[in-house]
Amino acid sequence: MSCFRKNFNKVLASLLFTAFLSLSSSVFAADGKALFQANCANCHKPDKDYTGPALQGVRERTPDPEWAYRWINNVNTMLETDAYAKGLLAKWKSKMTQFNLKKEEIKDILDYVDAYKPETTDGKSVTGKPAAEDSNYLLYGLLTIILAIVAFILLQVNSNLRKLTDDKEGVRRGEPVPFYRDKTYLMMGVLALFFTGGYFLVQWGIGLGRSKDYQPEQPIYYSHKVHAGTNQIACLYCHGGAQDSKHANIPSVNVCMNCHMAVNKYEGPDVLTHEDGSAVNGTAEIQKLYAYAGWDPVNKKYNDDKDGDGQPDGAKPIEWVRIHNLPDHVYFNHSQHVKVGKQQCQTCHGNIQQMGEVKQFSDLSMGWCINCHRESKVDFPDTAGTGGNKYYNIYEKFHRDMKAGKIDSVTVEKIGGLECQKCHY
Amino acid sequence: MKLKKIIWVTAVAATVVATVGSCGVKREPGTIYMPDMAYSRAYETNALLDSSMFTSSEPAAGHKIFYNRRPVPGTMERGEIAAYTLPNDSVGYRMSAGVVNPLGPLSKQDSAEAARLFNINCAICHGAKGAANGPLATSGKIGGVANLTLDMYVKMADGTMYHSIHYGKNNMGSYASQLSRKQRWQLVQYIRALQPKPAAATPVMASAKTDTAATAAKK
Repeated sequence: MSCFRKNFNKVLASLLFTAFLSLSSSVFAADGKALFQANCANCHKPDKDYTGPALQGVRERTPDPEWAYRWINNVNTMLETDAYAKGLLAKWKSKMTQFNLKKEEIKDILDYVDAYKPETTDGKSVTGKPAAEDSNYLLYGLLTIILAIVAFILLQVNSNLRKLTDDKEGVRRGEPVPFYRDKTYLMMGVLALFFTGGYFLVQWGIGLGRSKDYQPEQPIYYSHKVHAGTNQIACLYCHGGAQDSKHANIPSVNVCMNCHMAVNKYEGPDVLTHEDGSAVNGTAEIQKLYAYAGWDPVNKKYNDDKDGDGQPDGAKPIEWVRIHNLPDHVYFNHSQHVKVGKQQCQTCHGNIQQMGEVKQFSDLSMGWCINCHRESKVDFPDTAGTGGNKYYNIYEKFHRDMKAGKIDSVTVEKIGGLECQKCHY
Repeated sequence: MKLKKIIWVTAVAATVVATVGSCGVKREPGTIYMPDMAYSRAYETNALLDSSMFTSSEPAAGHKIFYNRRPVPGTMERGEIAAYTLPNDSVGYRMSAGVVNPLGPLSKQDSAEAARLFNINCAICHGAKGAANGPLATSGKIGGVANLTLDMYVKMADGTMYHSIHYGKNNMGSYASQLSRKQRWQLVQYIRALQPKPAAATPVMASAKTDTAATAAKK
């Protein structure tokens, strides 16, 4: 018997271990994806040539498997010394940006790229994913109900059997109480209601004032997937306020017209669909823009200003629906995060270059802010005092600690990023 | 056993509603507690109140708060370069050749900044090296993109180049709302650094070139 138990323990331990392993490997894959999106996706695709070559299998085709690791952090020097690097430059005509990534980060990226499989872009498979998750929930729900019914039947059988034995042994008991008046059942029911009700109440309470996944219908079907994804327009082209001010700013119509004076038809390649799967007529959406801008697409000029309000006749601003909204009691400044903190837009706004209609990616809760402030490193000069942001020179203690090897980096938290009055004042 | 039946039916219905009701697109932002703490009563850019309470059109200003973000006529920001006054017509275009770049040679920092601005605002059509091979040009979405490395643009006067950025030209729109006057002049200098060196380069261009050579290739 003890032998059996030992074996059982062993099996259990190994099961737990594999579960842990699979969990941790999925975490790495997610890291690789995020790193790839943040650093490489501007110029590289995993499976297709883009501004730079397709990255899938890069470790197999380079002179040695370690080549890519050296290259990413030493582009400038290797371009002068390494023959393969020179060949790359001659072929692709543009020099790669030099990065400063850790070896494990590069490994995560390359692992992600090698494991990457292209998503099919037709509407069905996109909507198929959440449906599969739902059916899982349904399955669990059904299982729970079935188990509950079985338990209930067993309890009934049990009470019937007991009644039989009681009859046989001649024990007299009172008339059995129906289950819905049995105090034990009632108590269990009340407790279950209390806990589930309490859980949902607390979840609802936490969700107050948060609008994660909020995806309002906009006056024009503007696809970030087409503009920022396929056409590779920089985020800051339209949302230039993000580098200079508190607000990222919704561009005014004249910024749209910079390109749409010339681009008056939508011809793909992306297929735009509404939430119900029906197709979006991109050209009609561009016509809507012309109406807002007061632009005459036939004569290719703005309407005359006959009413004298300083704008072409018929022009009016587009009333976009604001999605991301921090409460007034929080101060948030875009330029601080984009310019000084060098954060990618995608860190907070998600994979915006793949969104047809934009939805809120983060819940913008305080815990979410704090978490990032705990993890993000500031652009601190290295131990030799070079590089980084010179502003941080005032933190002498951290410089001493870094030189002494006590710390290897400084997070936002360490320079006061968790102080209440940094954001609430 | 009627009660039993009712309980079962409600339980099953509740589970079904809970599982099915959670899919679909979230079109409503959700509930907010204490709206007076959440929404600013002061003017905020892009706030929901904008369009209902504020207007920038003078005729509508009677019953709304008139808000015009333009500077008061005749004033300028401290440190800003004087306004560009040539008109947007053929005469102005011809006269622009005489306008001189008010900036000195770009510092190392300035040229890095100019390169960044060029990559954001210009490279999308003109390409990172100014050779008309930006994504919008090569995909054929916008035609007639100028190859800034061509001889005609090398010979083009600084002022004329500025004039084109300020007012737009042909398919190109005006960048006056996206770039400050200083940034526009810096971009003119940066474009000079991208161009092949003309025979008689002014000292300004020459120094800009050496400074930006390293950053030009980036990204």
